[in-house]
Amino acid sequence: MADLNGLELDPQVAAELPDWHDILAYLREPGRPHAVEVLRAADAAGRPAVQPRCGVGGHDRMLALLRELEPAGPGILSLTIDSHTRLRRFDTARALLDGDPADLNGYPLVSHGWRRGRELAEAVAVPLEVRHGSPDGRDLFAVALAAGITSFEGGGIGYNLPYSKNVPLAHSLRAWQQVDALCGVLAESGVVVDRELFGTLTAVLVPPSVSLAVTLLEALAAVAEGVRCLSVAYPQGGEVHQDIAALRAVRSLARRYLGPEVEVFPVLHEFMGVFPRTPDYANLLILQGGLVARLGGATKVINKTVQEAYGIPDAAANAAGIRSAALGASDLLDFVRIDEARVAEELHWIEREVAELVEPVLAAGDLLTGIEAAFRSGRLDIPFSASIHARSLVVPRRDGDGAIRYADAGALPFSGAVLRRQADLLRGAENARPRSLVEAATADIHYFLEKERRSLPGTAHLPLTDDPRSRYR
Amino acid sequence: MNTSHERRQRLVILGVAESDAHAVANHLIGMQLREHGFTVVNLGVCTPLSEFADAFDRHPGAEAVLIGSLNGHAHQDLGKLPELRAAGRLACPVVVGGNLSVGSHKKQSDRQRLYDLGVDHLLSDSDELVLLLDLLHAAGAARAPELQNG
Repeated sequence: MADLNGLELDPQVAAELPDWHDILAYLREPGRPHAVEVLRAADAAGRPAVQPRCGVGGHDRMLALLRELEPAGPGILSLTIDSHTRLRRFDTARALLDGDPADLNGYPLVSHGWRRGRELAEAVAVPLEVRHGSPDGRDLFAVALAAGITSFEGGGIGYNLPYSKNVPLAHSLRAWQQVDALCGVLAESGVVVDRELFGTLTAVLVPPSVSLAVTLLEALAAVAEGVRCLSVAYPQGGEVHQDIAALRAVRSLARRYLGPEVEVFPVLHEFMGVFPRTPDYANLLILQGGLVARLGGATKVINKTVQEAYGIPDAAANAAGIRSAALGASDLLDFVRIDEARVAEELHWIEREVAELVEPVLAAGDLLTGIEAAFRSGRLDIPFSASIHARSLVVPRRDGDGAIRYADAGALPFSGAVLRRQADLLRGAENARPRSLVEAATADIHYFLEKERRSLPGTAHLPLTDDPRSRYR
Repeated sequence: MNTSHERRQRLVILGVAESDAHAVANHLIGMQLREHGFTVVNLGVCTPLSEFADAFDRHPGAEAVLIGSLNGHAHQDLGKLPELRAAGRLACPVVVGGNLSVGSHKKQSDRQRLYDLGVDHLLSDSDELVLLLDLLHAAGAARAPELQNG
């Protein structure tokens, strides 16, 4: 293993990199855009910055895509990385790139190299973020830094359990610990790296307190290594009061657990589940996401597109999605008021649930080994895990209002009060829908298809997408 | 219809095909089978066929191996089935369910290719699964005395 200031790297990747002083000098060049500045400005303005997901295999196509999206007004643009690079199969990514780059489902930054990365970063005025899904993102992080990119998504839990079958948490947590430690070194040199934590997890019926407990633990691990800027992402569940409360909880939990040295920015990932099939209803949901982000005090919102139900969107649809999310957060909708008492009640219980999940882990001593042990026993857990290292005993359900609750909390160490409230909230839904567990879960996953059908006459005949249950993992 | 109580002794092996990482349907089907009283050995996503065979070696009483495939690559992922069967392994019904080929228009030939590999049953709807297992179980129980006599 080669080494970049404590970051252990694949020797082949390390050999291609410029030396540390060159990397640092480039990052500190005046005028280079940094995500942290966009986030501070959005926070001060009280309206979220909008960011699309975007990544294609070929370099020229990636350049063109960024240039096509920039006029839509995103605060930050993404470099979404392909699956092979995420899994450190750099040779496979290279081979596909040399064959047909269209076979890659994202931009293979490691294969293209840091010089091309700088070319992308310099092609647009807004900062870039690298978004991926790597249980071990160290090599990718080194190349991103050398390319001048100071926003990097991922964490040892959120980028492992939803994405990989059998990567031990011990491995991913320690790989991300090195990434965070290098961010600490950079912070001391005046370069603030924005580290976004993927609370979206498996993107299907994620209870807010599961998402927030995972990102809080990753945040504590990051701050311990010297990270100074965290974006904490929460996935829009679909019930407005619950979503607003969850976004506000990002800030209240940060105040309580993380201390003043780190800036924390809440991020809303627009609905990641089975998406409406008509452009009309899909656009409404995108717009509403922008509004929910503003009302919840999110600093940033990751937009969806009207092509979501059908696969990776084209640039025009993505640009339209950026604009719709921004319009949802715009002043035309500033008249909207929500039931603050209802949000406050949700917030209270979310904070309590997160405390009941996180505090036993903190009391156990070493944070990373505590996290591993808790997942092993099911005291930490996520629903629908792709990984065998989470037990997935948690069964989520929507209540009568659409909020995501625990139908079965598995081995999560919740108090009697929390469990009783969850059962009470679901009692109405059980009576209204006496179905098998699988039918009920499928209906909950298809929540917005049913709403679309009821709101738009003439959509009932539309077939369900090829296999909706298959679309999200 | 059998009751949950009677199914308690019945074990099935469940998993998702090798190239497929779709976890949600896998978890839902696992829940459904347990809700109906089955004991489920769930191997999870991205499971090579050889690991299904290993699991059947460990649980020879399993009454079926249930393989989900939602990405349309079932035929590639199950390519080693004839070889494993020739070696005497996976000697139980192999049921494949999900989305059985790439593209939105399904052809009979896609299904036939899987039957030709030795897949015993194809399902497109997980709600049919428990009924199929009960029918297989009843057929197996009816056949058992003959086997003992034979």
